[in-house]
Amino acid sequence: MSAHVGILLEMFCETLRMIYLGCFLLLCGLTHVMASYPIWWSLAVGHQYSSLGTQPILCGSIPGLVPKQLRFCRNYVEIMPSVAEGVKIGIQECQHQFRGRRWNCTTVNDNLAIFGPVLDKATRESAFVHAIASAGVAFAVTRACAEGSATICGCDTRHKGPPGEGWKWGGCSEDVEFGSMVSREFADARENRPDARSAMNRHNNEAGRMSLNDNMFLKCKCHGLSGSCEVKTCWWSQPDFRVIGDYMKDKYDSASEMVVEKHKESRGWVETLRPKYNYFKPPTERDLVYYESSPNFCDPNPETGSFGTRDRICNLTSHGIDGCDLLCCGRGHNTRTEKRKEKCHCIFHWCCYVSCQECVRVYDVHTCK
Amino acid sequence: MAGAIIENMSTKKLVIVGVILLLFQAFAFMVGGLIAPSPTTAVHYLATKCVDTVKHRQETKWFMPWGPDQCAKIRTFDEAMAKKIEANNIVFAVHIPLPNKEMSSWFQFMLVILQFDIAFKMYNQIEEGVVVTVDVGLAYRDDTFSEWTEMAHSFEQRKLSCNFTTAKTFENEGRYYECDPLPFMEVGSVAHKYYLLNIRLPVNERKKINVGIGEIKDIRLVSIHQNGGFTKVWFAMKTFLTPSILIIMIWYWRRITLMSRPPVLLEKVIFALGISMTFINIPVEWFSIGFNWTWMLLFGDIRQGIFYSMLLSFWIIFCGEHLMDQTERNRFSVYWKQVGPIVFGSFCLFIFDMCERGVQLTNPFYSIWASDVGTELAMAFIIVAGICACLYFLFLCFMVFQVFRNISGKRTSLPAMSKARRLHYEGLIFRFKFLMLVTLFCAAMTVIFFIISQVNEGHWHWGEHTVQVNSAFFTGIYGMWNLYVFAIMFLYAPSHKRYGDEQSSGQCITGDAGANSGEDIQLTTTITNVEGPTEIYKMTGKQAQE
Repeated sequence: MSAHVGILLEMFCETLRMIYLGCFLLLCGLTHVMASYPIWWSLAVGHQYSSLGTQPILCGSIPGLVPKQLRFCRNYVEIMPSVAEGVKIGIQECQHQFRGRRWNCTTVNDNLAIFGPVLDKATRESAFVHAIASAGVAFAVTRACAEGSATICGCDTRHKGPPGEGWKWGGCSEDVEFGSMVSREFADARENRPDARSAMNRHNNEAGRMSLNDNMFLKCKCHGLSGSCEVKTCWWSQPDFRVIGDYMKDKYDSASEMVVEKHKESRGWVETLRPKYNYFKPPTERDLVYYESSPNFCDPNPETGSFGTRDRICNLTSHGIDGCDLLCCGRGHNTRTEKRKEKCHCIFHWCCYVSCQECVRVYDVHTCK
Repeated sequence: MAGAIIENMSTKKLVIVGVILLLFQAFAFMVGGLIAPSPTTAVHYLATKCVDTVKHRQETKWFMPWGPDQCAKIRTFDEAMAKKIEANNIVFAVHIPLPNKEMSSWFQFMLVILQFDIAFKMYNQIEEGVVVTVDVGLAYRDDTFSEWTEMAHSFEQRKLSCNFTTAKTFENEGRYYECDPLPFMEVGSVAHKYYLLNIRLPVNERKKINVGIGEIKDIRLVSIHQNGGFTKVWFAMKTFLTPSILIIMIWYWRRITLMSRPPVLLEKVIFALGISMTFINIPVEWFSIGFNWTWMLLFGDIRQGIFYSMLLSFWIIFCGEHLMDQTERNRFSVYWKQVGPIVFGSFCLFIFDMCERGVQLTNPFYSIWASDVGTELAMAFIIVAGICACLYFLFLCFMVFQVFRNISGKRTSLPAMSKARRLHYEGLIFRFKFLMLVTLFCAAMTVIFFIISQVNEGHWHWGEHTVQVNSAFFTGIYGMWNLYVFAIMFLYAPSHKRYGDEQSSGQCITGDAGANSGEDIQLTTTITNVEGPTEIYKMTGKQAQE
């Protein structure tokens, strides 16, 4: 309950806005659940996000920050837009990876809990979303460092030479280390409770960052005598975020189910996770873990956050999860023909200009009953 | 006098010299590994997409990606699409270095690599062999408030080599192509604190400029420069090594001039090796700190090239002079066949370097690899140089083989010889084998460390210390070849000592040889006994043979 107290403290300390938020939490009657819900993700959707570029971020106005996050935000306010951007990238990637599945990573706009109640349970889906969001934050911060929009990146005090001269003496460390650090400090700040859910989130956040690190690739340039490889400089490049998404999706498919164990420690009861099945390989740092089974997402259920698959478009020819049989949970599908005006015979410029003709095509659209 | 110092030195002294040299060697490695940072740093830059709102520009305006007077930015090109901004009005701006940092002349050089992030679209794919035309400007300033001064401006063409590893289907739209990094810019001195790059990708449908280059999402640059700390350590090393080699060189030459005979070829070559080593050592780079000398990079290449060709020539001539066959050598013209490939090969590389780094003095964006003709020309030069190198090594191996064959031939007849002759041949063999061993050791060390530095990620953690392997490689190998030249000049200098109890001057040997029915014509080919390679001596030799 210390987090609960933390939130209460925060409410006292924070501005009116936060008190309003506190009221909102209490009104929803979800206080316990919301304590574990990363409401700050709402930065990445709606009007909060669209105003990012134009207005400076007010840390107090970000909903759901724990004191540590608030401190971080105030200290490093210039990288907060990248943090929001990172969550956005993560959500977009989630929606791409789950586009043909029963649960398609839908976000709700009118709720601070942007995924609805789906993430309340410690399911595979929760594991994926946490991991991809934490990877997204690390990714976006690293990007922002390269863009120069954040000034505090990179150079740490590890290098020799007088302070401030580190850059001139030995250059700076890779930005990706900084990106991971920000993600760790910020996204994990709230996951410090001794309960199982916190442990799970911590693990999955780290798995997300690890997968980003694992997918970095090395590029080199030779620039010695006459351009020979006598002198060679290498650097790590970030992959396209889609590569991270694919990798995380694999990890989602092979996520490990855990069971919760309770230990009595000096600070009270502590919950830890243990693999449920001993005959499977125990999860590594890079694997996703969960301990509650997912709902089937076939029918709408406000409690589980399932929107159901009614009216979803399905693929008639596919035998996979996006096929009409599986997606519609056996309820069958409707078919209608649709005439669509489409652009065709286009001439593209690399940016911003496409000259096209309009063609009309007829499609059969299948939707679930 | 008889023989070089190395033959007349006692084993104890030789061991002492060896240990001292090894200590210096270890020191050279440690300086690089423990004091210096890694040799170079690569910094990532993501170009900011600025919008050029002014329609008809009178003067060049510079676009800053961040800071107080930053440009109007767009985050994605979808935004530009909505605002109806044309490709020609988008400027990719990169400020080098990143905020709160400044460049320094200790960085010595800066090269920039260009990378495109191009997303795959079914209907907007990259065409085969397409060329990107880049309109690029480079400006500098030395404080944060003054105006930017243009340094270079150029239209450059770069060939895109991208491939898409997954299937080209609608499913995979939005994935990025894997594009090879393109050489973009190279400046030979970093004299200013701040640099600004403004890049445009103008589109002209009629002239087919930048058409079919796919959907560019981002432009990324990587700048590489030498670390200031490494430069300092490197300069310190050079400043220390220059006088050491210079002193031993003067000492060596004094020794030779003290003798009554003129110097032989091998002695001259060793001296030339010393000169080229000093030439490479002289720390003229100190001037690059104060002056904006962009040609320093090229000059460094030339100096290195001269040293390498000198070293290779030295090996050939050393082998040749120890062949112990019946031919008269001691003339440089004898070796034209072996030295020819070295000279020709290094000349090719010199031309290539002039074409690349020479042109870059006027246009830092020039790259010989950018055009097809240039690529072919460059490849031709490199292949010719490679063939020359192969040819050279064949010659060298053949000569070493010959020397060993002759050595084993001599071995059998050694006990039958007179003491002076035996000592002379033993000296020859010992000298050759010693140099062979040391050279092989040095070459092996170079190769091993080169491989380590290539496969390694750059530093090792050793307890709480970080060992910079790459820096250790550079300082260690550089120190090693300096010590090599030092040792050769010291050990192969003519000795003042005489062979033990034997009164073996050149004259003595001749007398001896005359008595022993001529096997000593070979002696003329070596350094030791040619003290006064007089006509009389040669005649006696010839007579004896007859």
